[in-house]
Amino acid sequence: MKTFPTVGGGAGPALAAPPSGLRFDHTVLANGLTIIGEHNPAAATVAAGFFVNTGARDETPDVSGVSHFLEHMAFKGNDQYSAEDINRVFDEIGAQYNAYTSHERTVYYGAVLPGRLPTLLELLSLMMRPVLRQEDFDVEKKVILEEIAMYQDRPAFQVFDLSSELYWNGHPLGNSILGSTESITALRKEQMAAYHRERYSPGNLLLTLAGAYDWDAVVDQVTLATAEWVQVPVTRTRPTAATLAGTDGQSDAKLNRTHVAVYAPGVGKDDPRRYAAAVLADAIGDSGGSRLYWELVDKGLADNASLDHESSEGEGVFNGYISTAPERAQAVIELYLATLRRVQDEGLTADEWRRAQRKLATGLTLRAETPLGRLSSLGSGYQATGEYLSVDEVVARVMGAELATAQELLAERPFDRAYVYTLGPAD
Amino acid sequence: MSGNPVRTGASAAVGASPPPETTTREPIVVTLDNGLRVVYESMPWLPAVSASLVMPFGSATDPVGLEGTANVLHEWLQRGAGELDSRGHSDALEDLGVRRGGASSRESSSLSLSFLESELDAALPLLASMVTAPRFDTSEFESARELALQELDSLDDAPTQRLFDELLARFLASPQGRSAYGTAAGLAALTPDGVREAATRVLGADGAVLALAGGSDWASIERAVTSAFGSWRGATTPIPPVAVAPVARHHVVAESSQVQIGLAFPSAEPGTDESIVYNLALGVLSGSMGSRLFTEVREKRGLVYSVSAFSRGLRGFGYTIGYAGTTPERADETLSVFLAELERLTEGVSADEFDRARTGILSSLVMQGESSGATAARLASDMYMLGRARTLDEIRSRIEAVDLATLNDYLAANPLPTPMVVTLGPGALELA
Repeated sequence: MKTFPTVGGGAGPALAAPPSGLRFDHTVLANGLTIIGEHNPAAATVAAGFFVNTGARDETPDVSGVSHFLEHMAFKGNDQYSAEDINRVFDEIGAQYNAYTSHERTVYYGAVLPGRLPTLLELLSLMMRPVLRQEDFDVEKKVILEEIAMYQDRPAFQVFDLSSELYWNGHPLGNSILGSTESITALRKEQMAAYHRERYSPGNLLLTLAGAYDWDAVVDQVTLATAEWVQVPVTRTRPTAATLAGTDGQSDAKLNRTHVAVYAPGVGKDDPRRYAAAVLADAIGDSGGSRLYWELVDKGLADNASLDHESSEGEGVFNGYISTAPERAQAVIELYLATLRRVQDEGLTADEWRRAQRKLATGLTLRAETPLGRLSSLGSGYQATGEYLSVDEVVARVMGAELATAQELLAERPFDRAYVYTLGPAD
Repeated sequence: MSGNPVRTGASAAVGASPPPETTTREPIVVTLDNGLRVVYESMPWLPAVSASLVMPFGSATDPVGLEGTANVLHEWLQRGAGELDSRGHSDALEDLGVRRGGASSRESSSLSLSFLESELDAALPLLASMVTAPRFDTSEFESARELALQELDSLDDAPTQRLFDELLARFLASPQGRSAYGTAAGLAALTPDGVREAATRVLGADGAVLALAGGSDWASIERAVTSAFGSWRGATTPIPPVAVAPVARHHVVAESSQVQIGLAFPSAEPGTDESIVYNLALGVLSGSMGSRLFTEVREKRGLVYSVSAFSRGLRGFGYTIGYAGTTPERADETLSVFLAELERLTEGVSADEFDRARTGILSSLVMQGESSGATAARLASDMYMLGRARTLDEIRSRIEAVDLATLNDYLAANPLPTPMVVTLGPGALELA
């Protein structure tokens, strides 16, 4: 039986027993590549992924969107493997695989039955050294432009793409992940190759495994596969953000609803208060049972009114979203902000705090049921902090986050500095 | 236990964290006296339990003129039950750390919960009371309806979702073609008493399925389920038979950057041997990034970001949906390539393609089997659509029993039907 740990004198269940049989593995190869693994004897599958510590925040304006475009190009292969070969071999081993790019990370991952792990590792490793053929680059550019067009039809995404740069006010966390039609059209293969040389140094990569694997075999194979990789120094600028407050927006006659992006300063990954910030955001803006849910969604005033907290290197942000009818948008935005300010002034109740903690803890537990579900938090967590946390430890930290810490965050009055961007039909 | 349960299937093996691959996983099925079918698969190495309650009502059972009844009923069920008002019920679930889900769709509506195994005895009564003792407070009705109207309105800003609604409305001639959201007129015509009355016709145990999977034991599950759901009564309405409309092409004018292209055609009935064979063919067509559609439409021509074909099931009826999104000037070429790939499938697949598709399907079966939520969803779907729960072993051996010749003979004898084509975007396609 597993229960949530609690803190203080609550009547909740006792502290959970340590996880059964999990083992953490860790090594750094001579070329600087770090490999970590969480071995789980109960797993029927294994997941592996390269976490590259690079993303939109590491781009200069002339290569806007290159991290994400490069992520696509990694699937085009090297001198030995064509693009078709890569996809074919992934299929031959029955892999579930994909990749994603964020502001500070590019991740390539797959999951397979344990016997097929060597082939998965071979593919993922060669993808880190793509050959970037011109004809592949030209075809894939069209795909990226289609992806940009697709997101233009998704206002819930578009409202953030339009406003992120404004809120971050010159800080690189405001860079667009996709880039623009103009920046992608103008991008040349040579620029991408240079970005790759500068960012995909083995010391800037983390190979993560979760599930059923043979650690010694993994280390031997990856050591050989990456022997030629040369380490170069990689840096990331960490300017202090001077984020914007206030309101802005634009109209789009084709829209039927008003979509609103809300930003307020949060805490970075290096701040131990990030667990309290996550619980706080959940209590205010989870999709069910939160303050915003009861004020806006339950009453039918908005079909979506949520708040998240996102921690990045050096900075964090409370990110909110509203979808509502244009005729009541103004009133709904005011009610949304009044709800945030009320929490800021009066705090949360102990019940609200505990409920948010427990929902987050259950969510973490469920995601960790499969190696593929576990991989993302294992790799990104370690990459951000250099610290291994088992799921039980993460749950313990969430359950141990104190309401007093949230009150401390609220005392800095982040919601007084909210930035609200509205995208809706013309008035 | 209320009376004698009918049990099929052996007890699941329970041990200390055995690897799932080597565990015999037999779903246990019982039918309660009230007709509720309960299915459970033990995954003893997991700390959580997932439960999914599937009920036989949806837009297909809505009365004419009152489209949206099922959607509002489903929302209203979640707004107070038994002694607890809407807020009280929600708080009680959240006190336990329960993650909630569920949806109202065409032939069914579901309520699902995931929670730590230790909360089983507290969580299941909260799930049960939503259907055994819904409050149906009049004060909550308007909010539930208003939310449904807003969701319907939001569809206009989500072209892909809207395409699927427009496609199925034209493809299916029976009430299953209705949007799960309802219609603005239907939602406006609903009354609290009308929806309460509808509940007396559709909200019953007989015909519903409760599927559970995760780290508990059958004795605990059986006790908790019987105590929570044993008192459920009420009636259900038969789902109307599926009918397909004559094939045609339609264009829906919408302002958007991309043209949304949707195709639909009837295919193998879910759960049959034919569907096992057909799904292997569909795997060759669209199972992965190495599949024919992805290769021809995206990799070679760069026509789209997103292209796929996938099978869907209604009771006793299977169909396949095709989807691609592309900018207007490339829409005609995208549709032509897509249609050519459907035709080419009749010529059969290669041995390599067959092996890859089979490996992919078998592999994803193992991966889904690691998750309590995915396992509960598989069990619920099997019970609801087929009337029985298949073991992972059975599904695997039926897939392994198909060989290349069987698949190619099937494809030669069963050319894919001409699809219904619906496009949505700024201008009509030449082909459409």
